[in-house]
Amino acid sequence: MVEPPATDSESAFAQTAGKQLLVFGGVAFVAIAILMLALQALTNLMASNTTTAQAIDDVNNMISIAIREEPPQLNSTVATDASSGMIIGHVFEGLLRMNAKDQLEAGIAHKWHVTDTQVHFWLRTDARWSDGSTITAQDFVFGWQTALSPEVASEYAFLLFHIKNGRAINAGELPASELGVSTPNDFELIVQLERPVAFFDKMVTFPTYLPVPQKFYQATAGKYGADASELLYSGPYTISNWVHGSSLLLEKNEHYWDKDRIAIDKINIAYITSDSTASLNFFKDDKIATTTLTAENLDSALEERWQIKKHQDGAIFFLEFNHRKSHITQNYNLRRSMQLVLDMEELVYKVTKLPGYLPGESLFPEFLMGVETHFRKEYPATKNVLDRVRAREHIKLAKHELGLEAIPPLMLLTGDNAVSNIQAEWVQASLKKHLDLDIRIDKQIFKQRLAKMTAGEFDMVLAGWGPDYDDPLTFGDLFASWNLNNRGRYASDAMDGFISQVQDSVDPATRMRLFAQIQQLVYDDVVILPMYERGVTYVVHPRLKGMKRRVIGPQVDFTNAYIEPVSVN
Amino acid sequence: MTNAEQTATTFSADAFAPLAQDQDVQSISRPSLSYWQDAWLRLRANRRALISLWLVVGLLLFTFLGPVIWQIDPTIQDVEQISQAPGANRSVTLVAEYEPWQGQGSSRFAFAETPTTQSVRLQWENFNPSYGYRVYRTPYSIGPERAFGLPLAETLDPFFEDRLDLRPMNYYYTVMAIDADGANTNNYHTIEGTVARVITLEDARSRGLVTTQANPPIGTKYEFAWHPLGTDYLGRDMLARLMHGARVSLFIGFFAPFLYVLIGVIYGSTAGFIGGVTDQAMMRFADFVVALPFLLFMILFKVMTNTGPGESGIIPMLFAMVVLLWPATARLVRGQILQIREEGYISAGRLLGAKTNYLVLRHMIPNTMGVILVTVTFAVPSAIFTEAFLSFIGMGVAPPTPSWGSMCNEGIKTMLTHPHELIFPALFISITVLAFNMLGDGLRDALDARMRNRE
Repeated sequence: MVEPPATDSESAFAQTAGKQLLVFGGVAFVAIAILMLALQALTNLMASNTTTAQAIDDVNNMISIAIREEPPQLNSTVATDASSGMIIGHVFEGLLRMNAKDQLEAGIAHKWHVTDTQVHFWLRTDARWSDGSTITAQDFVFGWQTALSPEVASEYAFLLFHIKNGRAINAGELPASELGVSTPNDFELIVQLERPVAFFDKMVTFPTYLPVPQKFYQATAGKYGADASELLYSGPYTISNWVHGSSLLLEKNEHYWDKDRIAIDKINIAYITSDSTASLNFFKDDKIATTTLTAENLDSALEERWQIKKHQDGAIFFLEFNHRKSHITQNYNLRRSMQLVLDMEELVYKVTKLPGYLPGESLFPEFLMGVETHFRKEYPATKNVLDRVRAREHIKLAKHELGLEAIPPLMLLTGDNAVSNIQAEWVQASLKKHLDLDIRIDKQIFKQRLAKMTAGEFDMVLAGWGPDYDDPLTFGDLFASWNLNNRGRYASDAMDGFISQVQDSVDPATRMRLFAQIQQLVYDDVVILPMYERGVTYVVHPRLKGMKRRVIGPQVDFTNAYIEPVSVN
Repeated sequence: MTNAEQTATTFSADAFAPLAQDQDVQSISRPSLSYWQDAWLRLRANRRALISLWLVVGLLLFTFLGPVIWQIDPTIQDVEQISQAPGANRSVTLVAEYEPWQGQGSSRFAFAETPTTQSVRLQWENFNPSYGYRVYRTPYSIGPERAFGLPLAETLDPFFEDRLDLRPMNYYYTVMAIDADGANTNNYHTIEGTVARVITLEDARSRGLVTTQANPPIGTKYEFAWHPLGTDYLGRDMLARLMHGARVSLFIGFFAPFLYVLIGVIYGSTAGFIGGVTDQAMMRFADFVVALPFLLFMILFKVMTNTGPGESGIIPMLFAMVVLLWPATARLVRGQILQIREEGYISAGRLLGAKTNYLVLRHMIPNTMGVILVTVTFAVPSAIFTEAFLSFIGMGVAPPTPSWGSMCNEGIKTMLTHPHELIFPALFISITVLAFNMLGDGLRDALDARMRNRE
């Protein structure tokens, strides 16, 4: 078809229309471009100066690291999570501390004396808060009273129950002033104990025992610990910059009494990420000085030929049964049959596949010390011998006792991370294969899992427990009928009896014998099935030396670390 | 029309006689084709569409007939064959039952026994008894960077037994003397050894490699069960999991779009055809449904239907998708109907006395078929992906039931080391999506009423 030739008026119209369209288009383009740039500028304004991280920064004598999550706050009286614990370990120091070899060492107290029910601390006079004021015995008393006060509702208040009247103050039955501590002068602290505690000197290294400056605390009007400026520091570092959700910068504390000990001037917590692959890539790009490895990225770490290290972090993981009457897992024969088929060596060696993990044998992990040497060497745990034939007999007995034709599906509560997923599916398949038990997996996030554990909404749960202090009792009293962390509500007179005796005793030999009895009872009565002791596999920059991973206290400790100078060849 | 003057003509009576019936005019040269026959003819001519049709048929066979032919339980875990690639070496040697071992003492660093996947036993001469040793393992040779690999253990004894995730391959073991601080020293020895895959008699019996009565000698060679597509992170057969996973994925992929597109078509055509206030009210309701958050409602439905943890959330998922995803289709169809309603042939149809039902079913819906099919084509893969996503966050299938999406999500964790765990389910999702896209394309061309009678 041939277009009819356009008349003059038509072409003129088309021209104006075209021009108009062009102008509109141009204006729209420019407007969008301006908007884009403005938004970009705004976002840049909001995001504060992000420092470019460098694993080892020789010029500033600084290292960069990543943490898994941001501390909710750094108020030592209420802190519970690992990230807070790690930072608190660097910016505060208490009466005593652990040295690089995990031995007790003088901190702010230069001398201490322990008798049965009284502990006497002598504080050094040159210990200062980061504003230059002196750290006095009164600061400790105030910190402990705060942690115990019912209004603060600290989850770790129970650690202070060893102090006379601590439990009553926490319950609101006595005023805080009744706490069994006295301060003869500014630099002496005398603690009365509720009953003899064999390990009280080790307890005072825990964050809940840290001092809190009373005047400053009251001046912050409830915001103590919420930001870098809402804190006074007693430890090797101060927080000089805290960008919430993004990074923290720790700088050497000039008022710290022992500052010559600290070799690294700045610790830049450059990233907050719980994604292990992201951390691995930061490490690969030389942006952070250390990272942990998971089973998935172990192979690439081997291929990169990094120096891999491992560490037992002291946490044990176990299959906990619900012993409440309403759950069929309260039946001994049912639990015993599972004990006879679940092969924890298979779990650790073939399924979890991480170095550092040990097959679970006992409620007490290997690091705990007995009288002379490791507790587990002195009292080896009973070796669980698998026996599928006997397991099936126990299942029959269980069905008979419960009056059931078949065992109904059991609910297995578990966390929502990759490692727990695999383990839960392994438990599910093993029990199906050997005992023909149906297991339903209930995956929940950490908080929800804890809530369900507390409410008893499970038959079995993949639970874990990390040590709070360096004594077998931190594990030993878990299954006391009065312990709220006994989520399965296991209750037996024998267990309660052993635990009461341990708590009343200070003689190491007697205590260890009692712990051995608890260990045996956990096995005999199948209170739990220990699955594994957790290990951490990690890599460290080859020039960063002296970094310490701890079982108790901050998970990672840089206070003894230093940067090795580049060797000149 | 012109106003020209009429010319007078004279007619005879003959001119008004009816015409004789002429059979030839009425005869049809080609067979009459119904709408569907015509569509089928045109679909057959489209080669891409035909290939994808066969792919879809193949997928259906894979899903329904596959498990009948390949009768492997997709939930059985084989911890000896974890993350096996397809075509991996499956030969295995019979060994004695595992016995704990305490070392015998040796004058040099050596394997105490032939290294096997059951255990690797190392012993060495006491060369620095003061602080103990650290044992390392790596599959890569040790160069000047002194990367010894995985630290397996610290020990005071001059022997060590390794049982951690042993694979039939070559390993370098290093024993290193450590100093008082637990740091490495320059005092170390390395040996190399190849690990052989082994099996115990009891294990062989439970796998059916050996009959219960037979008592073959140690050293007899066997072959592990064959996994054509390899195994996943718990040693489960990938092919069986893919077949069973297809059920869930295709069930959601077919039914959810089918149902919500159907609802959308009915709703949209009603609104569009009636128009006016009714149309306004109906479309505002559709807008309201669009604003409802899918995930939240999915959770609410799950709670409402009492789906406990550990139970499959597929039915609530289907329900949530049907209830919440129809407005997109409804809007498209309504727009089309509004447009078609004003077309000349509809007015003509009305004038000829066509009923509403006839108009809608015969003229309007067939003319919107193109739009509807495009919607369905996109809805199928998006439904499969939605299922994958929901299974990932724990709202979909409950383990051990597999679905392609959950398999992908598990496979992506080991993408670099065991790519087959991701590639196979991803390949199946891709093929399905591609097949549906091409088939939808072909169907649109074939079913579009406007394309009729065009070659």
